[in-house]
Amino acid sequence: MKFSKLTACGAFALFFAFLVSCEEKEAKTAEAKTSGYPRSETLYLAGSQWGEPNTFNPLVEPWLVAWPANDRFNLMYEPLTAYNSLTGSTEPILGTLVSYDAEKVVVDIQHEAKWSDGMPVTSKDVKFIYELGKRFPQAPTSYVGEFVSEIKVDTINDGVERLSFMVNKKERDNPLVILDQLQAIRIVPSHVFEKYLEENNGDFSAVKKIKCDERPIVSGPYTLAQYNNERIVLVRRDDYWGNKVLHDGALPVPKYIIHPIFKNNDAFAINLQKGDLDASMNYIPRVNEKKKDAVNTWYDAPPYFVPGSMHFLFLNNTKAPLNDKKFRRAMAAAIDYDAISRLALSNYAPKMKPGLIMPEGLEKKFYNEEEVSKHSVPLGDKEYAKKLLAEAGYKAGFDDKGNLKYSLGPKGDTLPTLLIKAPAGWSDWEAIVNLVVKHLRSVGIDVREGFVDGSQYWPALPAGEFDIIMRKPPVAVTASLPWNRFNAVMSARNWVAVGEGSMNENEGRYKNKRADELLDKIPLLLENEEALKSAYIELNNIFLDDQPVIPVCHLPEEYYQFSEKRWTGWPTDKNPFAPPQLPWVGSGINTLWRLKQVK
Amino acid sequence: MLKKYPTVRYVLQRAIWYFLTFLVALSLNFFLPRLGSDPVDIMMAQSSFSSPEIRKQTEENLRKDFGLIVVDKQGNIQRDEKGNAIKASKISQLVNYIGQVFKGDLGTSFKNQKKVSEIIVQALPWTLALQLPTILFGWIFGNGLGALAAYRRGVFDKVIFPLALLMSSIPFFVFGMVLVYFFGIVWEIFPAVGAYSLELTPGFSLDFIISVAYHYILPFFSIFLILAGGQAIGMRSMGIYELGTDYIKYAKWLGLKESRVLVYLFRNAMLPQLTGLALSIGQMVGGALITEMIFSYPGLGMAMLTAIQTNDYPVIQGVTLLITTSVLLANFTVDILIALLDPRVKQSLSMDAK
Repeated sequence: MKFSKLTACGAFALFFAFLVSCEEKEAKTAEAKTSGYPRSETLYLAGSQWGEPNTFNPLVEPWLVAWPANDRFNLMYEPLTAYNSLTGSTEPILGTLVSYDAEKVVVDIQHEAKWSDGMPVTSKDVKFIYELGKRFPQAPTSYVGEFVSEIKVDTINDGVERLSFMVNKKERDNPLVILDQLQAIRIVPSHVFEKYLEENNGDFSAVKKIKCDERPIVSGPYTLAQYNNERIVLVRRDDYWGNKVLHDGALPVPKYIIHPIFKNNDAFAINLQKGDLDASMNYIPRVNEKKKDAVNTWYDAPPYFVPGSMHFLFLNNTKAPLNDKKFRRAMAAAIDYDAISRLALSNYAPKMKPGLIMPEGLEKKFYNEEEVSKHSVPLGDKEYAKKLLAEAGYKAGFDDKGNLKYSLGPKGDTLPTLLIKAPAGWSDWEAIVNLVVKHLRSVGIDVREGFVDGSQYWPALPAGEFDIIMRKPPVAVTASLPWNRFNAVMSARNWVAVGEGSMNENEGRYKNKRADELLDKIPLLLENEEALKSAYIELNNIFLDDQPVIPVCHLPEEYYQFSEKRWTGWPTDKNPFAPPQLPWVGSGINTLWRLKQVK
Repeated sequence: MLKKYPTVRYVLQRAIWYFLTFLVALSLNFFLPRLGSDPVDIMMAQSSFSSPEIRKQTEENLRKDFGLIVVDKQGNIQRDEKGNAIKASKISQLVNYIGQVFKGDLGTSFKNQKKVSEIIVQALPWTLALQLPTILFGWIFGNGLGALAAYRRGVFDKVIFPLALLMSSIPFFVFGMVLVYFFGIVWEIFPAVGAYSLELTPGFSLDFIISVAYHYILPFFSIFLILAGGQAIGMRSMGIYELGTDYIKYAKWLGLKESRVLVYLFRNAMLPQLTGLALSIGQMVGGALITEMIFSYPGLGMAMLTAIQTNDYPVIQGVTLLITTSVLLANFTVDILIALLDPRVKQSLSMDAK
């Protein structure tokens, strides 16, 4: 009896302590509520915050910042413009794109745009974030200076400020990236951060330690209400300036947006299916089978999603036999891409076409079927791959069951077993690698799976410490596609040899002078459609001839999946009023004004 | 010295050994995470930079913040002839770390600049709230069942024993997933994941307490049933063994009341089970990782997993330190308790002293 009383007391004390500790972690912010957030007024979105929110300071390195103050989310802090990945148009937010050419990109600031403290958004704010790198080289936007030499400000009629972003001709000479930056760089209130700098005697690293989680001054339609390590809560700002200017006076429909912080991948599928999550961007296998639970995608039929990014096998171009382009071409031919889409990707990848230009969507205009078939190896053709290898002098032996026994190089030397590195636990990539290994071994190429922990995968990549590695370059669907994709896999501008340092693009260390020239030239051809097209075709041909990396599938930029249990009115291919993105980035945010509550 | 007080001597001896073990464990906790790649390398590879100079500068700043390179008193980075920053030696980092631990400072997380002690204080209550009641109730329930089965035998035993055997042989993560699938998804009786409904704000409200309790049921049973199964089997076989011993036969032969005999029986059968209980309480801090993952439950296991994935040394060290300490303390307590309670051990101690 004594014992059970003691246990009961202990349990109670524990529960008490635990409630106290829960309460403490809640942020003390502006609109903190104690009762909770009614499900009917709340939109649940997930996939961009793993682990505990750290800081909401937009001046900190983006990978340390919590959603939605990080990356390209425009719910709290807004960029000048939003790119519509469906139409290719640049839509106005804090600014309107006026014109662009090889010399400058011109943007007008929205005259009515205001910060949440009532101060107007001005050229001062834009110049603050764009030129921060000049004052503090460690600022996250310091790279801007290589692209923008100067921002000229003119006042045109009615006091509207016109900004001219001058192309830095001496350094990057690349207006295309400036267009990307209009969407990527979010404008922050300079009056707030200048004050912080002043209070800290100009010490930038001290300002970075401010968490900006209490009554942050923002310009966007939502602001931070609460957060802890289970969720981040945003609340609608009913006085958002853009409601009147951009949305005909309407308010975004959900009063609250909650980003739950899940600990495993299954949680996304489970919650979406149960209607506890309204939209998610994570890979969920066989999502079409969840239709009965009101989970839907952009298309009703395969590939369900809109392809926007390529996943690659990066090859170490400095290591034998991968330094032999015949060998690399044979690899590209040997892989059965249909099997990959069917078996590893739930049919989410459309029929594979060779090259770095996607044959659909906005890039279609640069795609030339005839040129591609002239330069590419036939995809998924094992006999062709074997023939290529034999011609180049590679030999392979198989046992009676067809298993690879040995593979020899042109000089009769035994080839090393090539490992395909991929992060362990990324199930879709693991499945792809398993299939690739099977396909390549069947034509006599000795490869094996090399699944490693994330803590080994990430550092190996820029260092070039791999034979073959699965890779999705951080190429967002932006105005500069497909240039930025070519740049990410072929540019030798920042060349560093393996073992001597890091490269953040072209990690396989491919080098081609002509390709670099074209990569420099393309961004300056903005107005000249014909020249642009022929430059892209030439660049794509070089890629196909040399095959420095192997694209394995075309997948969506984000797996846009939504549940219609609580909210309807999501954009789909039948109602494409916004691109297939969660309503938090680019022009996908327009969805927030069009959702309807399910009664 | 202390020859007259064998028990005190014994306790001191054990304490010294445990302290040495603690130091070794502390060093292992320090070196093992550092065998792999550097946390800065991981961060750098996940972000993109426009030029190698900016990359190098960001990298050096991070290393400086994390104390991985040598700086002078003004905070300037020390460089070798080639201009590369000099890396701080692991030994100097270790000495620094041990010094801090004894001052009660567990350091600051690399990932979110938060005090490690704060991270632990946030996560620990969830882990304890999930584990402690599960272990205690599982232990009491399992032992009760086992003892009954041993004493009653017959049909009762024939049902309980195979059931307990089945439960204890299912890996608890499989059982957890089965529970989630049926109760969470197919029948939708209980919430499948999370520790409370995200519509609610944590605090002293009835709604929140109910929500926590509701979300608690599945994770609780996923551990409880399996633990109880294992305990029942252990208790049953111990009970059957004790029933056959001379002292029970003698007690029965003396004609003692059945309840009296049962008390003797349990006291003796309980001893190894008690040791097991103390040990599992020691291990519970680190033992909930998989359960926490399956149910997306906040807690220490999750904190540690996130830290390992990003090589956040201070957090890994902090959590492993906590696990080490609690396992060592539990072992130590068991050692002492046995010495005090078990007459056989006590006897041998006094014999050694003579």
